[in-house]
Amino acid sequence: MITREVTIRNRAGLHTRPASMIVREASRFKSDFYIRKDGYEINGKSIIGVMTLAAEQGSRLELTFDGPDEAKAAEALEAVFERGFGEPI
Amino acid sequence: MPLSLLIQGAAPADDDGEGERTIDGIGVAPGVAIGPVYLYEAGAWQEAANVGFESVEAEAGRFERAVVRSERELTKIVTVAQEKLGEDSGRIFDAQLLMLRDASFYDAVLARIRDDEVIAGEAVRAVLDRIRDRFAASDDHALRERAADFDDIRNRVIRNLQQGRALSNIDPDHVVVASRLTAADVLLFSRRGVLGIVLDFGGPTSHVSIMARALGVPAVVSLRSLTSEVHSGDTLIIDGLSGRVVVRPTPATLDAYRAKQARYDALRAELPRDFGPAETADGHPVALQANVEFREEFPLLREFGAEGVGLFRTEMLFLVHGRALDEDQQYAVYRDVLRAAAPHGVTFRLIDLGGDKGLPFSNREANPFLGWRGVRILTDRPEVVRPQLRAVLRAATEGPARLLVPMVTFVDEIETIRQLVAEAAAELAAEGVPHEAHVPIGIMVEVPAVAVTADRFAKRADFFSIGTNDLTQFTLGIDRGNELVAHRFRELHPAVLELVARTVAAAHDAGIPVSLCGELAGDPRVTPLLVGMGIDALSASPPYLRLVRRVLSTTTLPEARALAAEALRQSDADAVRTLLFNWLRDHTPDVAAMLVPAD
Repeated sequence: MITREVTIRNRAGLHTRPASMIVREASRFKSDFYIRKDGYEINGKSIIGVMTLAAEQGSRLELTFDGPDEAKAAEALEAVFERGFGEPI
Repeated sequence: MPLSLLIQGAAPADDDGEGERTIDGIGVAPGVAIGPVYLYEAGAWQEAANVGFESVEAEAGRFERAVVRSERELTKIVTVAQEKLGEDSGRIFDAQLLMLRDASFYDAVLARIRDDEVIAGEAVRAVLDRIRDRFAASDDHALRERAADFDDIRNRVIRNLQQGRALSNIDPDHVVVASRLTAADVLLFSRRGVLGIVLDFGGPTSHVSIMARALGVPAVVSLRSLTSEVHSGDTLIIDGLSGRVVVRPTPATLDAYRAKQARYDALRAELPRDFGPAETADGHPVALQANVEFREEFPLLREFGAEGVGLFRTEMLFLVHGRALDEDQQYAVYRDVLRAAAPHGVTFRLIDLGGDKGLPFSNREANPFLGWRGVRILTDRPEVVRPQLRAVLRAATEGPARLLVPMVTFVDEIETIRQLVAEAAAELAAEGVPHEAHVPIGIMVEVPAVAVTADRFAKRADFFSIGTNDLTQFTLGIDRGNELVAHRFRELHPAVLELVARTVAAAHDAGIPVSLCGELAGDPRVTPLLVGMGIDALSASPPYLRLVRRVLSTTTLPEARALAAEALRQSDADAVRTLLFNWLRDHTPDVAAMLVPAD
């Protein structure tokens, strides 16, 4: 199991577009993927789950990966967050 | 396909909504159907949803099918949104796509169906409303906005559930009345055993019409506002041959049409299963071929005794799929149609886009019919036609294939295409791919310039195919798609006949075959005229070949020639039409009776 801490970088925060981006990326990997915010944990491969996060710019999230390709998954997802989902920062 | 009469929808007379009403539209698929109306419209779906729970398996199946349909819709929307509005807009619908398969939704609905034994629609509502309410109640403004996405998804899935139910609830032995349908709807209805289809909108060359003909479902379109004039359960008569529809017929009218139906069925049954070549009464052969493009139509070749495919409109494949097919996809279709047509051949018309057939490029032309279309696009953009040429040459090992070039205006257009074909063959040879290097290359005669100087083109083309639809438009200067003038459109105008005669003469002088592939080819009233004028082959929509063959077999060549000579002496189109119809009525009265309303 791997854990990573990330910050929401983009101005608009974690709205529908980044949500679908995260889920699509995470679904490429076999490992389980969870996102934790303020003690609340959701399945990162569930779009409905990710949508409930409503994380705004500056929020800190904890990402958890568990499975055979967890290292690769962690790297990929971290990059998605680091890029600010390709949106204006 | 309309017979050469283009009948406009009649304005309602004084109708109290109770008595018999007759409306004339465009008959696009032949046959007579009599039955109760099934009014197919958005409202009809709601009542269908109030059917009870049958079993967990049934509801789970319905749910899965509704999800699949919703996925298809959303996938299309994502593509369109991305193309037109950019990557971002696509993402919102992409999220909805993801929602459909999200366990919090999908698994939850299945669990609900199983545990509570409710119909799928109720389970979907319950699950999505719960999720949606959670979002709507949030303090966070952004989360509250997401509620709308769940409403969207719920509405989409419910609609697909109800549609699925409505379609499966359609009783066989009904006549479907709708404002519009898709070709897929027609296929579904046909499988459910509907007797006939009637639409407010649509035209003879639309995909819906082609599908109805292919499936043998009588259909009449362009009835304007029939959906607001009938009620479910009203008795309706559809005459797909004359284009007439009768609502709430009197007993006398019913009898007349039942008799016509019986005659049409007898005519269908009487022609032999295995057809010899079509010929005149005195043994002169005329090739009767079919216009087909879709797999659903391939069995019709044998059923109606077509001697191959006289016109394969390749752009139909592109239009139906909404995008260009690649070389291998095209090869598969061309190979299959050649197999279906064996031992006869297939004439592939190179993609003929532009004019009224949509292009992927959004060029706004002031005058699309006179604009960038047909061979003009192909020679300006050879990369569009190269995969197609390769696909045809590869498929041509399966059977006799010919290439037909659309919208030719200048002789060197033929040379350019020949050059491209030679290059494609050389490429294939170098790659070691099996192919036919030499296929006959012919031209559409549709631009008057070509008909007038046909002798020069006959020297360069391997065959002619006369496209009377466009030839008539250009010659008369009338747009048949324009409602204001469409009723003036007359393919039998002496000028058009003159041009056809000239084209035939030039072809025969040069020793090349000439066929006719416009709608006239399938009109039995015109068959003797065309044969008398020397046309070697007629290519029409398969169901019409039956009547054409019958007329052919009762006409001798000298009779046809005499009729043609007299027609060419007439002063106007109406005189020609009267002449032809009277002749048919005297010569082949059973066919003549088919073509007019029975009442």
